[in-house]
Amino acid sequence: MARILIIDDEEDVRIALKQVLERAGYEVSVAADGPEGLDLMKEEGADLVITDVIMPGIDGIAAAKKIRDMYRDTRIIVMSGGGMIAPAPYEPDAISTRSYLASASRAGADRTITKPFDRHELLQVVQKLLEES
Amino acid sequence: MARHLNTIPGRLVLMLLLIHALLMPPLFYVISSTVERTMKDSFIDNVRNFAQVFVDRFDRLEADVTEQRIIELLDSAMLSGQGSYAAIEVGGRTVGSSLMNVQDAGLFREDFAFGEHDDDVYYLSLPVSGLAEPAVLKLGYDESPIHEDLVAVRLTLIYVLSAYLLLTLVVAGFMSATIVSPLRWLQTVSRAISSGDVDRELKPDSRLEEISALADDLERMRRNLVGINARLKEEIAERAQAEADRRQLEEQAHHHERLRSLGTLAGGVAHEFNNVLQPMVLYLELALEDLPADSPIAENLLRVQELARRAKGLSQQILTFSRDDSDPRFVTENLAPIAEEAVTMIRALLPATVDLRIDINPDCSPVKCAPEQIQQLLVNLCNNAHQALSDDAGYISVSLGEVQVSDQLASRHSQLDAGQYVLLEVQDTGMGMDPATQERIFEPFFTTHEVGKGTGLGLSVVHGIVERHDGEITVESKPGKGTRFNIFLPCDGRGEQSR
Repeated sequence: MARILIIDDEEDVRIALKQVLERAGYEVSVAADGPEGLDLMKEEGADLVITDVIMPGIDGIAAAKKIRDMYRDTRIIVMSGGGMIAPAPYEPDAISTRSYLASASRAGADRTITKPFDRHELLQVVQKLLEES
Repeated sequence: MARHLNTIPGRLVLMLLLIHALLMPPLFYVISSTVERTMKDSFIDNVRNFAQVFVDRFDRLEADVTEQRIIELLDSAMLSGQGSYAAIEVGGRTVGSSLMNVQDAGLFREDFAFGEHDDDVYYLSLPVSGLAEPAVLKLGYDESPIHEDLVAVRLTLIYVLSAYLLLTLVVAGFMSATIVSPLRWLQTVSRAISSGDVDRELKPDSRLEEISALADDLERMRRNLVGINARLKEEIAERAQAEADRRQLEEQAHHHERLRSLGTLAGGVAHEFNNVLQPMVLYLELALEDLPADSPIAENLLRVQELARRAKGLSQQILTFSRDDSDPRFVTENLAPIAEEAVTMIRALLPATVDLRIDINPDCSPVKCAPEQIQQLLVNLCNNAHQALSDDAGYISVSLGEVQVSDQLASRHSQLDAGQYVLLEVQDTGMGMDPATQERIFEPFFTTHEVGKGTGLGLSVVHGIVERHDGEITVESKPGKGTRFNIFLPCDGRGEQSR
């Protein structure tokens, strides 16, 4: 069965995604940030990585790039909550999620997906990517 | 008096009087003395001729002439001309005319000049050779008629010269009037011009070279001034217009800036909101899966799922406003079929009583656009228009056409460049808006409707879509008259890459 690694700093996102994917029959491991995710990749490896775009420490784009460089066969999905992303209080020169997602694609992400998505949407994307590989 | 002397007629009269005062006495003297001399000479000539005639007569007398005959001759000498004395001295004896007064007989003097002495008589003494003894004829003629004539001549001369002086003054007065009256006219017009009536022309009304030259110069000056004035006015108007344009641009830029920072804020909130919503959606799905379909818990969870869907819709609208919704599909297409489709949708959404007027030009240039967003925009604007109509009276019109944005229009809108644009217009004859409301309509959650009726996001979404398409939206509205939204979308496929 395919292995999926979830990297997100939001615990509830990790838990919910893990449950959904496990019910769909995948093996799932979770990491709270980029470095932890990279460690897990080294230890266990994964066929597919689902990472949030913004996280403390190392962001999703940097993580996606590193994974892409090291593991050519691993599929990567970058997800985002949309909206301008800036440290609070919100500043006018905030970087838009759109440009984040665009740079995620350039960094090697196979797909970008915008929160909130439902189970059906997610499983479709995951299945399609794994079939391609 | 001095005031009058400082006028042109005053100066002219004074000058003439001075000239005549200097010239007239010598003139008078020369004329009168010439006349006097002429009259005197002719008098003397006449008298001498007379005298010679009598000398000849005496010369022809015979030697034995009687004294009676001599007296007769002397009498005739007295009667011819203005004789006043006639006598002949023969051999120491003097015989006088019988017509002479006796006392006058001794008056003869050796006075051969005219006008000398005060006796008014001109005496002559001539030798006569015809008599037996040597004799001298002595005659005297009255000068007074000549003197009287001379007085008359002088008087006439004075009259003539006075008349001449008078005539000169009259002519001078007339001449000065021909100088003064065009000058006065120039003065009147100049005053009118200086007090603001700058369009009065200074046309010279005189053949005098100096005056017409002066009038020409003044007219040239006036035209220059009028030109300068007009140019100044034009410049002031241009500057005011430029200033107004600049202020409008500034206000617009400020407005855009405000909406953008609002978008950033709202987008940030939506981002966090979506992060919360994401596990909620998934947990719900998992929980629903775990429950039998007929469970009463499932029923409530389904309601929560519906609410989550609404929440998702809301956050998506906010993201559209903040131009940060997930990438819409951009295509380069003619807007007409897209608008037609939207209109069909709108007709279905609006009550049948609403008069929806459509004017879509099918031949517009293609526009780089996200069709769903354009339809969303039209639906939102029509929805807004419908809400502005009271009791569904009046109409809503949707039109699509192509326009050329001029430099002038572009200079007043920060988001427009000169060039070809497709123009979407949504107009209603509803209640309209005051300027304060117009100022805020694109702000998210700003609404004039009562709470619970609309989210206050409709026009914010419209604004986000227009921005996303690199377009411009303008509002024209008058309270009680209605509102028109104009949406300019660039034709030349600049789309969203350019910004």
